[in-house]
Amino acid sequence: MSLTKRFQRSDEPIWWSLFSAGGVCVAMLIPALIVLLVFGPSLGLLSPDTLSYQRISTLLYHPLGLMFIGAVIILPLFHAMHRIHHGLHDLQWAHSALAKWLCYGSALLLSFLALSLWLLGR
Amino acid sequence: MKQPETKPSDMQHLSVAIQRYRPEQDDTPVWQSYQVPYDDSTSVLDALHWIKEHQDSSLTYRWSCRMAICGSCGVMVDGTPKLGCKTFLRDYPQGLKVAALANFPIEKDLVVDMSRFLQHLTTIKPYLIGEPSLVQAGSASAGSDQPSSAALQPQLQSPEQVKRYQQFANCINCGLCYSACPQFGLNPEFLGPAAIALAHRYNLDSRDQGKAERQPALNSKDGVWSCTFVGFCSTVCPKGVDPAAAINQGKIVSTMDGVIQWFSPKQLDATPQEPTS
Repeated sequence: MSLTKRFQRSDEPIWWSLFSAGGVCVAMLIPALIVLLVFGPSLGLLSPDTLSYQRISTLLYHPLGLMFIGAVIILPLFHAMHRIHHGLHDLQWAHSALAKWLCYGSALLLSFLALSLWLLGR
Repeated sequence: MKQPETKPSDMQHLSVAIQRYRPEQDDTPVWQSYQVPYDDSTSVLDALHWIKEHQDSSLTYRWSCRMAICGSCGVMVDGTPKLGCKTFLRDYPQGLKVAALANFPIEKDLVVDMSRFLQHLTTIKPYLIGEPSLVQAGSASAGSDQPSSAALQPQLQSPEQVKRYQQFANCINCGLCYSACPQFGLNPEFLGPAAIALAHRYNLDSRDQGKAERQPALNSKDGVWSCTFVGFCSTVCPKGVDPAAAINQGKIVSTMDGVIQWFSPKQLDATPQEPTS
């Protein structure tokens, strides 16, 4: 880097923001959901009827269910793929534009799939 | 009362292995071991002095203040970046290995070429950049007997304003954080921990107006975004600076800067236009 070098703004803020938001979901929300949904019924915190297919299905396909899809699937996907992308660089396995496209592209693709299934299921 | 001086022959000895590289005779660095007398107060730098004075006058290393202020005597001690003057032989009862700082090209023995680091420091303009009108007033008054009163006004800071940047102002430019940084090891174009911490320090200073000049370098791929928050830079810093925090606070600043830029009208991004009237 020289004093006269022209700097190009990185697009990393976009991926880092998604990574950070996904990190909060993975660290805070998903463990709470696992405790509640997996151990809730056996600990008597939730009645089995609360988690009936009919009820969960109605909740999921409510417009607010989109927030659940975003917080539990989409943002954690970007979080994971960001880690994999940078991990590939750290291990010196791959740090090309192709690797970046494959990492974030697969997160985008799977997010699109989740959203499509949500729309189709309504 | 003055303690009687202990003769080196009466002292305990420790094995100190030093990575040598003499470009005129070595193709690659080689290890040489020395037996060094030591007591509780013997630092790694003292050991290097002793070797140079008593065993091998060709041993080459940098040093100056001997009190962790100048930042000259950075070396790898058992693979960890340390200041030689602040590291003591008593903490390595099994002996120790001393090598040149990692991630920098070796010039000779323990002396590395730090020009890349200094280049990065220069890039982020680590100095106060004043309010343009005040700077202009100061320049205009340079040739006159009556200096501009505006330019001579002290720029007062409250303790809270000092506290915002003070932690990041303790850097002594020793380069240990660059040796600790795996990302700088992979990509020497990365501005690196100390330079970004200093950029952050000046950006947080209420007297400074230079953020817009520093931000393009910080926003680039080789700016804050090369950091993956390993955090070893903060662990090895001999002055307790936390460069990892500075870089990650810098990521938030860079993200906000990007959002503002992306949603701003295009003409605000361009070079200021000449007045048309």
